Amino acid sequence: MAVEEARKQDATAGAGKAFIALAVIAVLGMVFSWAVSGGSRRKYPDRTPVRFWHMWTAEWKVVVEDICDRFNESQDEYEVIPLSVPGHSADSKFLLAVAGGDPPDCMAQWNPVIPKWAESKLILPLDSLMSEEEWADFQATAYPIARKIGMYKEHLYGVTTGLNIWAMYYRLDHLKEAGLLPGGIPERIASLDDLRGVQVYLPRTLEALDEWGRMLDRYDGKLLSRVGFLPEFFRMYAPRFSGGFYDHESGRLTLNTPANLRALAYLAKCREELGFDKVVRFESSLTTRFGADWPFITGKYSCVADGQWRVVQLKRFAPELAYVTAPVPVPAEGGRAKAGWSNGNFMIIPVGAKCPAGAWEFIKFWSGLSEPERAAEFYTWGGWLPLNTRVAESPIYRKYVEDHPTFQTFLDILPSPNIEPSPPVPYQIYLEDRIKATDESATLGSLSAEKALARLEQEIASEVARRKEFGYAE
Amino acid sequence: MQRKWTGYLFISPWLLGFTLFVAGPFLISIYLAFTRYDVVSPPVWVGLANYRRLFTQDPLFWKSLGITLKYAAVAVPLGIVAGVGLALLLNLPIRGISVYRTVFYLPAIVPMVATCVVFTWLLNPQIGLVNSILRLIGVEGPAWLKSEPWAFRSLVIMSLWAVGASMIIYLAGLKDISLTLYEAAIVDGANAWQRTRHVTLPLLTPVIFFNLIMGIIHAFQYFAQAYIMTQGGPEDSTTFYALYLFNRAWRYLDMGYASAMAWVLFVIVVTITAVVFRSHKKWVHYGG
Repeated sequence: MAVEEARKQDATAGAGKAFIALAVIAVLGMVFSWAVSGGSRRKYPDRTPVRFWHMWTAEWKVVVEDICDRFNESQDEYEVIPLSVPGHSADSKFLLAVAGGDPPDCMAQWNPVIPKWAESKLILPLDSLMSEEEWADFQATAYPIARKIGMYKEHLYGVTTGLNIWAMYYRLDHLKEAGLLPGGIPERIASLDDLRGVQVYLPRTLEALDEWGRMLDRYDGKLLSRVGFLPEFFRMYAPRFSGGFYDHESGRLTLNTPANLRALAYLAKCREELGFDKVVRFESSLTTRFGADWPFITGKYSCVADGQWRVVQLKRFAPELAYVTAPVPVPAEGGRAKAGWSNGNFMIIPVGAKCPAGAWEFIKFWSGLSEPERAAEFYTWGGWLPLNTRVAESPIYRKYVEDHPTFQTFLDILPSPNIEPSPPVPYQIYLEDRIKATDESATLGSLSAEKALARLEQEIASEVARRKEFGYAE
Repeated sequence: MQRKWTGYLFISPWLLGFTLFVAGPFLISIYLAFTRYDVVSPPVWVGLANYRRLFTQDPLFWKSLGITLKYAAVAVPLGIVAGVGLALLLNLPIRGISVYRTVFYLPAIVPMVATCVVFTWLLNPQIGLVNSILRLIGVEGPAWLKSEPWAFRSLVIMSLWAVGASMIIYLAGLKDISLTLYEAAIVDGANAWQRTRHVTLPLLTPVIFFNLIMGIIHAFQYFAQAYIMTQGGPEDSTTFYALYLFNRAWRYLDMGYASAMAWVLFVIVVTITAVVFRSHKKWVHYGG
């Protein structure tokens, strides 16, 4: 019995030792891997580190890292250390990092986060880091949309490093085939003169563009095989009908308005004319909207509204494709020229950043607030639209536009005061989701535009009431 | 005594994980359900406001609950019928039966994301395989995941893809039924249908009961497929309860509201499970 007891004790002691050994190995392994992976990669260990998070990957990551290198080479006080964070979890990682007291010093964003994060005091008002001269200069030179995107409650929380503007892309081969362009049109748009010369023949009104669209549609049996033109996205078209979702002067939402109703009814009507079901099937057949498979490149669309980044993609993936760009036409009556929705890449500095001064220097360097001539080159690397006229008018940027003449269309639209960002309210993501649901209900034919808008207004009113009840300021 | 502690030491990683990542959040969410909480700011007490709003002023809450209940009511019985039917077929003494069993079980081990991607293409209204086959016989298939009634139905149909997991359990249950009962039934003159109806199914009810409970719980937690394939659309028609809860918590940073939703879900699942448990004496037969 005593022997048995002793055996049990030995076995227990052995198991305990085994566990401790395993635990020690595990800890040593972690320390080792941390030491190996965390070994100093810093090129300038004597400088103050500026930790920079972004969400770019692949070739874009290389561009961003090159910009960081340029900044590090440009001065001897700070070292920007970039880190690519997976886009789908970047926001939650950022939130947890701020909550945990160890945020990055700055972050490049494109998600609609400014109002919510500013309201929750997660990000710094950047105007607090600006001198009076810098603030005045920013106000004077930044494009209206660059100012609107970064602002919340009269403070600047984000500085844009690349704006997105949408314009029309027209395939010249389709237009010529349908006899919509006169003879003598250049084969390709090779210069700004070519661009201006062809733009003269393009539709001036949305109604005229719709007519072109129906002439360019093609069918395979009962199914659509090519769409001439199909307007999409309520948030894009509301401003073009002189509507929109936010009045910046009064600071109030404007949802169920006659102008918005006209825009939504127009979008629904366009789909109804083609057949709701046919459009759904056609859109489902488009494999992807990205890169070389963009439906405009594959010939599924003849005329389509899209962003300026397609200019670079067209040059890369379809260099032989002849096309022209122009601002999206607006309705003949009650339209607002060069209007639409926009977003962009912007830089923020979290509350709790260890080196906000270094982060601010980096933001100025990249955005062009400090040296627009130098920053112009960065914008050309990514095919980005700048935040102010100084960058846009710099020789490097002008050279880029001359090499990509169709890009000029986007620069023509950029100064427009009619480009709107998402409404700067703290429940911006919820609002965007409900606007999207409104768009879906009307354009799938489930609800009339009137009913869909009334529902949107009711949903948002309920959300606002809930927030007020919970003690939120807005 | 020392032996006991050694045991605890060995399970301590699990205990630690369970306490930190399951029990802790579970308990804290009781409190959070009575607060407004955006994950980064301290929670602020709002009493019953979250629950009041949920029940009286949130149409999407009711819609998502309705969708989930409908899914549970349709997909769970359908899965049981398909699973039992398949198990009965795969219990037949035919040549190569092991191969068939493997083939039917394989989909259950395919990763969910891969399955979702494949089904998204299969159900593409214009170029998908399903509609292409239907077109061959002169039928224009629906828009599946892109139209309101069919998106939900598509997800229900897709749920049958993984029926192999429950089929294996039914098969094990079938193997457990004593052959002597069938022999006795044959002696009494029972035909195949009568043997299935009066011997097989009654003795399979404990397994059906188990799968029913698990199916109900899984149905109320239905999330990944809708998140990947439809993101709740079109027009919120596949906004399942768990998806709406997730959006509230992580998309709108409304963790207090989401916690209240989680507790409502918990109560519903417990209630339905309890009702099923109470009913089981009436229809579940334990052979022994």
